[in-house]
Amino acid sequence: MTVKIRFFARFRELLGTDIVVAVPKNKGLSDLVKDVAGRNKEGYDAIFDEKGAFREFVILMQNGKRLETSDAPEIKVADGDEIAVFPPVAGG
Amino acid sequence: MIAIQTEDVDIGKLITAAKQRGTGAIVVFDGIVRDDDIREMELEAYEEVAVPELEKIATEAKKTYNLLSVDIIHRIGRLAVGENILIIVVSAGHREQAYGGSRFIIEAIKAGVPIWKKELRKDGDRWVPGEHQHGCET
Repeated sequence: MTVKIRFFARFRELLGTDIVVAVPKNKGLSDLVKDVAGRNKEGYDAIFDEKGAFREFVILMQNGKRLETSDAPEIKVADGDEIAVFPPVAGG
Repeated sequence: MIAIQTEDVDIGKLITAAKQRGTGAIVVFDGIVRDDDIREMELEAYEEVAVPELEKIATEAKKTYNLLSVDIIHRIGRLAVGENILIIVVSAGHREQAYGGSRFIIEAIKAGVPIWKKELRKDGDRWVPGEHQHGCET
């Protein structure tokens, strides 16, 4: 199955965006983001702390709905999912 | 009109369109690129999420403040100093509703709508930090 990952703002600059990845069934959301972010150390370090946990300011969405980053390790992705990862918003 | 777009808008036309029979007050908020020693501002949005969130904010503002109409246009792309970033036009029967509704909308946008700004500065570029660290207040 395939999942699309979208990074925004500084994360996009470091990691790119609209990255479609093939993943096995029951892939965890945290592990998926780690795999993709791991392609660039600076990008990985911007999103994850030294223990491999999402930094507290990181915002996650699955198909347009916000998730608690603390729940992400338990959440599985599904075929066709769109996962968004971004820093705090600053519109207006 | 609720939109995220690169083009500017004619605020005068929005005001004219917002005038209805019951209108007693229109408040216009115009957020502008300030000259903080920057060359330009670059904005990006998660449009598929941001537009529905703007629509939801407009609906809530209408209901809470009894507004007759709401326009929200947030621009993205590269903007020069002095250009419009965000235009909010609200029409209401009375000024208290119009001021209250306009304030509600701008604060809700800043709190949670996925839009980001980067200052292209003479001494290096900088992403503008959000006012709400988690961006989940809406």
